[in-house]
Amino acid sequence: MNTQKVISGFFIIMAMTLNFGFFYGDIDTFSHHSPYELFATIVVNLIATILKLGDKTQLGSVLLATSLVADIQLISAATIWGISAYVMGNLEGTATQVIVSLSGGALMANIVSVILFIGDTLKSKR
Amino acid sequence: MENRNNILWIIIRKMRIPLLVIIITFAISILGMVLIPGQDNNGNVYYMNFLDAVYFVTYMASTIGFGEIPYEFTYAQRMWVLFSIFITVIGWFYAIGALVTLIQDKNLISQVNLAKFQRKIKELKEPFIIILGYNHITKDLINKLSISNKRIVVIDKEEAKIEELELENFIPEVYALTADVNSPDTLRLAGIKKRNCKGVVTLFDNDFKNTKIALLAKLLNDRINVIVKSTTKEQSEHLKNLHIKTVIDPFTIISSRFYLALTSPSLWLLEMMFFGHELKLEKFEYMPKGKYVICGYGRMGKAIAQALTRAKLEYTYIDLKSSEYKKNKKSAIFGDSSDFRDLVKAGVKEAVAIVAATKDDLINLTIILTAKKINPNIYTIARENTIEDITIFKSAKVDRLYVLENLISEYVHKVIHLPLAYYFINEIHKQTEEWGEKILAEIKEKVQFHKPEVFQIRVSKNETYALYNYLKEDKERKIVLGQILRDLRDYKKRARICVLMVKNRKGEITFMPDDNYEVKVSDTFLMAATKEAKEDFELAVNNYNEFYYILTGKEPKYGIFKYLSKGEE
Repeated sequence: MNTQKVISGFFIIMAMTLNFGFFYGDIDTFSHHSPYELFATIVVNLIATILKLGDKTQLGSVLLATSLVADIQLISAATIWGISAYVMGNLEGTATQVIVSLSGGALMANIVSVILFIGDTLKSKR
Repeated sequence: MENRNNILWIIIRKMRIPLLVIIITFAISILGMVLIPGQDNNGNVYYMNFLDAVYFVTYMASTIGFGEIPYEFTYAQRMWVLFSIFITVIGWFYAIGALVTLIQDKNLISQVNLAKFQRKIKELKEPFIIILGYNHITKDLINKLSISNKRIVVIDKEEAKIEELELENFIPEVYALTADVNSPDTLRLAGIKKRNCKGVVTLFDNDFKNTKIALLAKLLNDRINVIVKSTTKEQSEHLKNLHIKTVIDPFTIISSRFYLALTSPSLWLLEMMFFGHELKLEKFEYMPKGKYVICGYGRMGKAIAQALTRAKLEYTYIDLKSSEYKKNKKSAIFGDSSDFRDLVKAGVKEAVAIVAATKDDLINLTIILTAKKINPNIYTIARENTIEDITIFKSAKVDRLYVLENLISEYVHKVIHLPLAYYFINEIHKQTEEWGEKILAEIKEKVQFHKPEVFQIRVSKNETYALYNYLKEDKERKIVLGQILRDLRDYKKRARICVLMVKNRKGEITFMPDDNYEVKVSDTFLMAATKEAKEDFELAVNNYNEFYYILTGKEPKYGIFKYLSKGEE
């Protein structure tokens, strides 16, 4: 067993599952989407990004790219959340839709990342 | 590009853990702040939102500390903040510390320097020369080449030497890199494959190293001039077989120069003119005829002996090896009673000259002093190995001094800066005393100055703009040397210039062309002149008006005057 693989696998998959957890629910209804879950998704995604840094292989580069995509989408979702909730004071309707669909995009990136990760694992002979 | 990636990777590798620590500690603190209930001013329970929590934790961790917002904290919150301060501030400082160490990281610095060097080489558009190894010889060489604005790239294995070079502040800037000179990658980095790379100079003490580098350079770029130092005949032959044009063997140079000095002073004088010697022999420069004693029979001693044999002069030698001498006697000073006896036995009393030719400067010096004690009238010849010791030898009043390092750098300078002069010097060694006398007389007559300057000039757009255009405008035009070698003040007088040789477009050489030689495009001239005549000549062949004057003796007319005076012509 490779400890490093366990850790990075844990974070990569966790990033996807948390992301899904946040994404799942009615797109218009704010109460279906927990801010805590978004926070956890962002943190876990950032950690996953950093774990992917420093791998010079082709696969490593693509993995890093997917993580960066997810980070950007999630952070913009959080930013929109902050602006609409505290600056505009209105979190219903459109804002929720934008936030959730952004997290949906991030989810896609995370899924790609997990698929690549699984593929790499299956290919490995050790 | 490759290299910039390397820099990025080094940074990423080293910053991974610090970044992880920051993210995790921040996440824990923020989550805690959101979950712990607080109290607003009216005593109602409230929960911090994420925006407030992120804001608060960010300024807390960076120790900016704007205070407790949006309401004063409860004790529960404060306990959490206390805990958070410890973890986040430590994480933050750890990251900053890692960043500072990273900036001082040796690998990173060398990668950054490499990237800078590569950029400079890429942007270098002028012709340049790669010099391998930075030492006394190459330093001297760079100094000489810098005067004529030659661009140079230097590579040395030792960082300390490169730093030393950077302190010298050569103008134009000399690009330097610390790298292993033996590897082809290094040569490629230095731009050997670039079109404007004109040559590679390798002058290490180690002959094998030189040969290896010469071969590499030749394979990487066949077009460039590889200048190699070689100190043995076998090595020189090897290099010649590899089609390396310029092989500098200091001992062969000394041998042939010594031979010239012994047999034909005028040829010797002619050769030395290229190295800034006056056109006149001083009294002490006449070599005495008679028996020579050579102390130290290594490469140098043998070179001198060879010259003496060729000149049919008698000599004896003492085979003195400086390293063995120092080991046996535990001293670097020659001249105890047994040494004294050795010298007398070798015949210093009757000899006319003593040659001190060992590898050690101090031993050489003491040999000279001891010999003078035995025979005060003896002519002294010494080998000096490093340029640094020059003042000591000067004060010892050695009659003839061979400074190896200086000799090499002067020769290489000629090869690079005045290739025609190098050719001319080679010709000198094939000629007779009469030839030398004739040429010396001609130079003296034409230049009328005891210390002429030698320069070369090519009929091309860059070097002789006016002359080049004049010839290009009309193919029928004929111009001879006598027409352009005119005084700028009075065109009836000849300029104080003596043309030593011409190389035409096909590479054919003419020595001492007379005034009827027809000048063609792409001719390269080697000339000796006074400094003033040289500058005047360069002006005349570049400036239309001056050129018009030396050809016709008239001032050119400009603009409206050209039309007004049309009738006169």
